[in-house]
Amino acid sequence: MADIADYFRGFAVTFRKLFEDRVTGEYRGGRAKEGQPDDKRPKPERLHGRHVLNRYEDGMEKCIGCELCAGVCPANCIYVRGADNDPENPTSPGERFGFVYEINYLRCIHCDLCVEACPTQAITESKLFEFSFTNRSDAIYTKDELVVGDDGKPQQMPWEDWRDGEDQLTSGWMRATSSAGDHRYEGVVHWAGELGYGVRAPELGQSAEVASAPADGGEVE
Amino acid sequence: MPTHSYVPHAPGYVDNEGPKIVTSRFGYEDSFTLERSQATGGYQALRTALDKTPAEIHSEVREATLLGRGGAGFPAGIKWGFLPPGKFPYYLVVNGDESEPGTYKDRLLMERDPHQLIEGCLITCYALGLQQCFLYVRGEMALAQERIAQALNEAYAEGYIGKNILGTEFSVDVVLTWGAGAYIVGEETALIESLEGNRGMPRLKPPYFPAAVGLYGQPTIVNNVETLSNVPWVTENGARQYKTYGSEKSPGTRMFAVSGHVKRPGVYEVEQGITTFRDLLYGDNFCQGIRDGHELKMFVPGGGSAPWFFEEQLDLPLEAGPVGAAGSMLGSGGIIVMDDTTDAVKAALRLVRFYARESCGKCTPCREGTTWEERVLQRILDGEGRPSDIEMLLDIADNISPGPYPVAADPAQDLDAIPFPPKQTTICPLGPSSVAPITSTIRRFRHEYEAKITKRDPIPVAAEKAVS
Amino acid sequence: MSRADEAETVNVTVNGAEIEASPGELLIDACERAGAYIPRFCYHSRMKPVGMCRMCLVEVDTGRGAALQPSCMLPVSDGMTVETETDLTKKAQDGVLEFLLVNHPLDCPVCDKGGECPLQDQTVAFGPGESRFVEEKRHYEKPIAISDTVYLDRERCILCDRCTRFANDVAGDTLIHFMDRGNNTQVNTFPDEPFASYFSGNTVQICPVGALTAKPYRFKARPWDLEETISTAWTDSVGSRITVQSSRNEVLRLLGVDADSVNWGWLSDKERFAFEALNSEDRLGRPLVRDDDHQLVATGWGDALDRAVAALQGAAPERIAMIGGARLTNESQYAWAKLAKGVLRTDNVDSQLGDGLPVEAVLGLPRATIDDACRPGGTIILMGPDPKEELGALYLRLRHAVLEDGATLIEITPRAGGLTGLASHSLHPRPGELPALTAALVAAVNGEAVDTAGVGGGVIAAAAAALDGPVTVVLGRASLAETGESVADAAVNLSRLDDVSFLSALRRGNIHGALDAGLSPGLLPGRTTLSAGSERVGEVWPGLPESDGLDTAGILAASAEGDIDVLIVLGADPINDFVDHAAAVAGLEAAGTVIAVDLVRNDSIEAAAHIVFAAAGPTESSGTFTNLEGRVSVCEQKVTPPGTARPDWMLATELAHRLGADLGLDSPESIRAELVSVSPVHHNLIEEALAVGRIDGVLVEGNGDIAAPVSTTADVPSNDAYSLRLVSTRSMYDDGVALRHSASSRGLARGLDVRLSPTEFDKLGVKPGTIVKVESSCGQLLAPAFADSSLPAGSAHVPWSAAGSPAGSLIDAGAPFIDVRVERA
Repeated sequence: MADIADYFRGFAVTFRKLFEDRVTGEYRGGRAKEGQPDDKRPKPERLHGRHVLNRYEDGMEKCIGCELCAGVCPANCIYVRGADNDPENPTSPGERFGFVYEINYLRCIHCDLCVEACPTQAITESKLFEFSFTNRSDAIYTKDELVVGDDGKPQQMPWEDWRDGEDQLTSGWMRATSSAGDHRYEGVVHWAGELGYGVRAPELGQSAEVASAPADGGEVE
Repeated sequence: MPTHSYVPHAPGYVDNEGPKIVTSRFGYEDSFTLERSQATGGYQALRTALDKTPAEIHSEVREATLLGRGGAGFPAGIKWGFLPPGKFPYYLVVNGDESEPGTYKDRLLMERDPHQLIEGCLITCYALGLQQCFLYVRGEMALAQERIAQALNEAYAEGYIGKNILGTEFSVDVVLTWGAGAYIVGEETALIESLEGNRGMPRLKPPYFPAAVGLYGQPTIVNNVETLSNVPWVTENGARQYKTYGSEKSPGTRMFAVSGHVKRPGVYEVEQGITTFRDLLYGDNFCQGIRDGHELKMFVPGGGSAPWFFEEQLDLPLEAGPVGAAGSMLGSGGIIVMDDTTDAVKAALRLVRFYARESCGKCTPCREGTTWEERVLQRILDGEGRPSDIEMLLDIADNISPGPYPVAADPAQDLDAIPFPPKQTTICPLGPSSVAPITSTIRRFRHEYEAKITKRDPIPVAAEKAVS
Repeated sequence: MSRADEAETVNVTVNGAEIEASPGELLIDACERAGAYIPRFCYHSRMKPVGMCRMCLVEVDTGRGAALQPSCMLPVSDGMTVETETDLTKKAQDGVLEFLLVNHPLDCPVCDKGGECPLQDQTVAFGPGESRFVEEKRHYEKPIAISDTVYLDRERCILCDRCTRFANDVAGDTLIHFMDRGNNTQVNTFPDEPFASYFSGNTVQICPVGALTAKPYRFKARPWDLEETISTAWTDSVGSRITVQSSRNEVLRLLGVDADSVNWGWLSDKERFAFEALNSEDRLGRPLVRDDDHQLVATGWGDALDRAVAALQGAAPERIAMIGGARLTNESQYAWAKLAKGVLRTDNVDSQLGDGLPVEAVLGLPRATIDDACRPGGTIILMGPDPKEELGALYLRLRHAVLEDGATLIEITPRAGGLTGLASHSLHPRPGELPALTAALVAAVNGEAVDTAGVGGGVIAAAAAALDGPVTVVLGRASLAETGESVADAAVNLSRLDDVSFLSALRRGNIHGALDAGLSPGLLPGRTTLSAGSERVGEVWPGLPESDGLDTAGILAASAEGDIDVLIVLGADPINDFVDHAAAVAGLEAAGTVIAVDLVRNDSIEAAAHIVFAAAGPTESSGTFTNLEGRVSVCEQKVTPPGTARPDWMLATELAHRLGADLGLDSPESIRAELVSVSPVHHNLIEEALAVGRIDGVLVEGNGDIAAPVSTTADVPSNDAYSLRLVSTRSMYDDGVALRHSASSRGLARGLDVRLSPTEFDKLGVKPGTIVKVESSCGQLLAPAFADSSLPAGSAHVPWSAAGSPAGSLIDAGAPFIDVRVERA
């Protein structure tokens, strides 16, 4: 007898939930017909989405093909090959540029280690994670697809569902070393704002002032 | 007949009262000619020497305790004894690459009395059984090169050099070479490298003395110009006579080149060990004191490499032992006097810059450290200094010369002297020499540094986090 | 005498633990053995210490108090106490590293050395965490090309003196040196003089930072991408040990491995950059056959093999011939030998292309190792090619032996070469008169010396007097315009000296493996002859040739007569590589069917091949390599061959299978096992030994059944007054197939010129560099003329160049000497 009571007790939960607010939202992947709702819930600030390869303001690519991102990648999803810059018509500042840059999104776990490893702030992660490719080659993003367009915005692939604002607030960038030889930057979180794309504000304990102030090599207030 | 260019003597020598061993002919306008030399007893010592056995000459020089005048002050007679027997040929190399800041005594000896030097070389060769002598003259000393060349030609023509000198079995060739203007070539192993046609860089030690392995891998005696210029007098007048001058440990006279803020700068031949710095700088017979209206602030007692002295050290005698114990050295005999108008930081920078430019580039601490010091000092003078720079300078200095660096006592701060010499992480003492101006001035004039420092140190990140 | 002098070892206390060291050993090495690694940048165990970087300062107490001393310059002494981890030492290490980093650009992300950089590693292990240097760093123009293959980035340089010491002390090419002073000290080349050294790649390998980088590897990969395996360099017969490094199935870099008995870690640039040819666009990935329009077209393996089988099945054994095979591994050579001699039963098999020596001279004389040749106090007689041009790593070893170990070098060569400056006696006999000169030299040891072969009696007597201690003859074919028999005769004469042994200087890749595998007329595997070895080999092989066959010259001559139906060209380019250009062309064109087995299309394939098998290259198949000492070392597969290319041994077994025979060979290991079973001299070539000798290899010793050569040649008549006797020597960059397919080395091929002895040059009455005509009985060429004082009177030198084989057009194979006339063009 007790068994049957337990049986209905289980259903009680179900019935109770029938009258509560829904947690899920209506989502049609950008293909909503007119009049139908097509809402996405706001994403957490720290969400890691698909990568963006940034450029400098003069259009030069930031990526120097150093392969540190590929080296640090725990999923082995990044393939980079460097090459010599043509001195007359360089792709990036300096000697070397990223000749091949591929990320396999069938493997990527969006851990953001590549972003931390990047010495030139070339790679950052956007908030976008809704992509539905139907074949393997679409899933492997090449450099041409990852690099930002002339407008400085990520390029939208046909199979990606971008909404307003999702290209904002990309991940930050932390120095593991003081690459310029300035020890004051060691361990300081540094936001790729001035040259990178889509930045969120520093959080508690992450000092933007320290990072941006001492350009003159002298005082730090 | 050789024709003499009567270019007037370069200034520098002051004709004062006192014993003259090596500067006896300096007063004559034609002191560098063979005629004048012979008329004033030149090459007489060579004849005397050739009448004796080589061993007698050697023991005479050893007996005279003729100290090396190049900087280290090693007795020449003992150095000569280091030649390993039976490893012929031996060579004599004359170190005429005088380029220590503030020192210009060898230049005068070479310009004004080249025959005395040549005679000294010949007697040394005779005493040690050498047949080849190399005279290495600093690249910039054009007049010295010219006059030595003339003197060599005259001496060859007169039969003092060459085969069967003065009819004896004794034969010597003297070769004149000049450098390309590198300070480091004053270091004897670098000089040998340069003589061999290589880049002038100090050799590895051991072997510690070129007497074992020197020029072309052969035993080589390297002596300073002034040392060898003393040899004719010692030969002619004997060790006993020589020892009547100077103190017991440092007999004879020594040339000091005084420059800077004194009334009568110049080269003086003074008795070692008896004369004090005060005598030399303030004596009427010598420099006659600091220029009017000013007071002594500091002085460099023995060439740019020496740690600096101050008022308190003025009564030290001009003798290696006491000066070394007091934290510096007599070195090459160049005394630079600075009065109260001198900026200590600027003065230090000037010397440090010299060492930074002249580092041969071999040892990392010297090559990188000296330039770093120079740039930090320059930054401080440019008003970009930070408080931590002073400690940083001392730490860079410590990485070039580990441990306490020789420095003079400072009664005002109740600080004792640290005796010479310094330790070094480099092959030769050039790197550690660059430290001397920094440690000397920071210890004594730290307030001058601090006065120039206007910037703040960056706040360490860790500390900042702890605060917030 | 102190106790230390008498003792075999001295005792040193390292960080409190007492260890034994040999007197004279440097402290840095002794400490490393004791487990206390002392950081260093300038110290290199194969070069003299220089004490430049000051990184290895440690606290040493020799009884006079502890002081910081550079451990790379300090030989151990008894009772020495060393502390490598005290605060003072740490401070010094921190300080030196900080100094080194002061001007280092820290562009590690773009630097090829990043990830395998001693400066990075030691900064992490021993250095300070932060830099206090806030000033601007030193700047130079970023990388400058100092040679065709090497880039120099002076900003990264830490002035350790390694490259300059290598160039000056080890290679003898003082082409880079320090410039300027103080903080501006930099390494650079002399004005207008590139770093054109055959050994420049070694400086890249030993550079402790990324200051020197190699063009072929530039930005190709990062160290953590690379996988590596140990192997053996294949371009010459020294058998230098290498690591093959690849990424994504592409070989990207070769590095020298310090094999104590072979190359000491050094490589010639040819060895180092030869892999480029394997990656070239012209690599064969599929078999080719000639179609009806006489074009080579790609086909499948079945088609290609069937056509080959059809051609072979119809041919009588004596009408089948095989030339080449020095490119192959020992295992492939054995498989092809078994196919040719055991299945096809032809003895017309020769792996030497007319530029080698009679096998008796290589295998039948007492053999020496490189270490034997270089032993301190010994005498080296160089009677062969210029090692600097042909056997780079051997050149470095010989150079070291003469300069540092007191070996005496006597040179008997046609003209001055790379070692001439080190030779105590240089004898340059007239071409063709080598035997007479060596006879005179041997006679002069105990008697009178007379003028011989254009060399003065006094010179011969002095050389004879210098013969001291054990003598090693480096024996090879210096001039291609003389015969190998003449060199062999000269060797016979020298074999009469006391305590003499011979180091073969045959240059071509695995030629010694080919001879050991029996790829020579009258030879069977295991240094044995057809007659002596038939019983032993016949037990395992399906058959044997009935009689001795022809050598390459004979094969090509027979082919030109129409007597060869099938000619197998095994990894060779006879048109450009056989000494007699005309004979090679005629022989290849007249052969019934030419089957070529190769890596890239070469001129011989283009001109004459009917069937081309695409073979796997040295980094693409496993096997072993035999060097000029007889030392066998492994070549391991690192990448897969392109397309469907297959290992050579597999092609032999496949052909045999289709011919109805089973070679019974299914892996390199099984081939080695069979070789050991049929060859007593290979008895120690077992897998365990190869594993133990992973670095140094396994030495295959003994002469087997090969007897010493006997004198054959007659006296050489002197040339008439109008003609000159030809000398033709090889150079490192001879424009051969491998070089032509190496992108970075392609431009290094030397130009053609003709050099005359000064009297002859004066007679010609032209300015240096004037184009002259050189004509022999078989051909002619035009080249600029220069004087060369080292040439004997009455001789002319034309360098061997593979492209079009200009020198080969002058040479008549088999002639004991070649007379040429040199005239104004």
